[in-house]
Amino acid sequence: MQICKLEHIHKDYRMGEIVSPLKDITLTVNSGDFIAVEGPSGIGKSTLLYVMGTLLQSDAGSYFFAEQDLSRMSDNQRSELRAKKIGFLFQDSTLIQALTLRENLIFSQGVGGKKDMKQIDVLLERFGLADRADFFPHQLSGGQRRRAMAARALLHKPALILADEPTNDLDEHWSVEIIKALQEEAARGAGVVMVTHNSQWAQFATRRCRLEDGKLVDME
Amino acid sequence: MLMLIWKNISRRRSQSVLTVTITLLTVMVFVMVLGVFQTVNRGLALSRERLGADAVLVPKYSSVDGGELLFTAMPENVYMPASVWEQAQALDGIAAMTHQFYAQSLALGCCDPGEEVRIIGFDSATDFILKPYLSEEQQREIDPEELIVGSNFEDDDLVGYNYMLLGKVLKVTAMLEATGSGMDSTFFADIDTVRTMCMESEVLSQNWTNKDPFDHISVIMIKLEAGVDPQEFVKYVADSGIEAKCLLTGDTIASLQSQLEVTMQVMFALWLASLLIAVLSLVGRFNALAKERKKEIGLLRAIGLKKPQVFGLIIGETCTMALMGGALGSAAALLCMDPVIAMLQGAFKLSPSVWTVQLSLLCGLAGILLAGLLGFGAAVMPAYRSASMDPQSAITQGEV
Repeated sequence: MQICKLEHIHKDYRMGEIVSPLKDITLTVNSGDFIAVEGPSGIGKSTLLYVMGTLLQSDAGSYFFAEQDLSRMSDNQRSELRAKKIGFLFQDSTLIQALTLRENLIFSQGVGGKKDMKQIDVLLERFGLADRADFFPHQLSGGQRRRAMAARALLHKPALILADEPTNDLDEHWSVEIIKALQEEAARGAGVVMVTHNSQWAQFATRRCRLEDGKLVDME
Repeated sequence: MLMLIWKNISRRRSQSVLTVTITLLTVMVFVMVLGVFQTVNRGLALSRERLGADAVLVPKYSSVDGGELLFTAMPENVYMPASVWEQAQALDGIAAMTHQFYAQSLALGCCDPGEEVRIIGFDSATDFILKPYLSEEQQREIDPEELIVGSNFEDDDLVGYNYMLLGKVLKVTAMLEATGSGMDSTFFADIDTVRTMCMESEVLSQNWTNKDPFDHISVIMIKLEAGVDPQEFVKYVADSGIEAKCLLTGDTIASLQSQLEVTMQVMFALWLASLLIAVLSLVGRFNALAKERKKEIGLLRAIGLKKPQVFGLIIGETCTMALMGGALGSAAALLCMDPVIAMLQGAFKLSPSVWTVQLSLLCGLAGILLAGLLGFGAAVMPAYRSASMDPQSAITQGEV
């Protein structure tokens, strides 16, 4: 089952000169896919995820999510889509500073219209954060924050999971755990797109692509 | 959402305290200015409404001030020949008139009240000034040994007690209802009793060595007939050759009102300046808040919050802080109002205040409303900009 589809996506940044990290991206994500997008830093991997996460609009091309054309969606509809269908694991640490870890998860879950404390406890346990649930983000280590963000991304059982360098700040054990979790999500039926510059983790994906000169190239 | 609003406020304590304090001070000043303005205006309106006399005849060459005469209880020992009363009776256009004789208690006199208090001798046969403030059974001719006291002496019910004034024991037979004028802090006795007290008082009798108080009066209060122009009446009195000058009570109130209006305008301008400073501070605060939390706002958008929700979140947070400041500011202002009004009474020769619970509640609510508007007004642009931010650039450029 198709989750989303990008057709000839083009994105420019105007930073004095025009930089085009995405020139002609075509990609289909189906249920059960675990796609790794590789490439060196600064090549545009994160930009691709932001476009797929509807956080950034492309300058050209089409993006369909559940066969709906994103360009025809209002901002509110895109927000709704993000709240219910997309889980985002950002590259940088992003948690709400005034809330404890548990409160962060409760709030995120609430935005999607759900309330399931049991699931929050399961995810906290899963990512080794049960004893840090009442800590504030600034009281957590970088690795703990990244695991918290992973828990948040999976909280509402999204159809599409976008993971931006998910193993950053993590030791070997927790890197493996995060990759395993992403694999499990794909097995559940979600589509997972992970960008990484580390091929060690890319090999766990079911499909590997490389972003080169603004285009996606299949590696297998 | 409400949880996040509250947590953002309670867990960023120093920033929240700063915002609340700015609002608190602005609202406090506002409520005090509003309270003073309302009190003064109401006091004057009440005095105008209740003042029985349209005009007052005072000694021709005295420098007596109408404001002091009418609105304060400051002793004004001015006198004119009693013959003025007969002259005044010949004037046209007068519906009623009554004469009074002024004296005062002594600050250091034995058994006196301990401060100088105005004593007015009045003629109960012609009086129309006190009557509206006395109950029906008290509206009778006053005996020489009786005393009526103003409402400001009401530490306790004085009726029935004896009171010693200038060495003479008088029985309190009535207390006036509050008048909102200097009458509230005045003793009233029969005019001849007061004259006798002046003669018998060791200190006050020194003023009467060559004169007889029984041949003198202090003022004549006049109620004009309907349709008589007060200004024309003043000219008419001046041209009549009567040995007194005529002050219009309405003029006195208008003059006081005008003085107060100027003062209030200055206070309002100062308050406006403080409001502007507060608005600028709060805009700065909320802009900084939006910048500090750019990344967080981007995250909120990324996890699915809609633009109006982000806008509502920021406005909710700022308005909550502003309303807290407003409530505290209003409470602080109301606590400070009594001494402030007491000070203003002295400065403006105002009557005892009409600062009521209802008025204080209204001023307090106005303060809270202002705080809400202040919070909303100062936050609306930063909130709009934050909500409209591109979530991707907010996340990638923002700092936590």
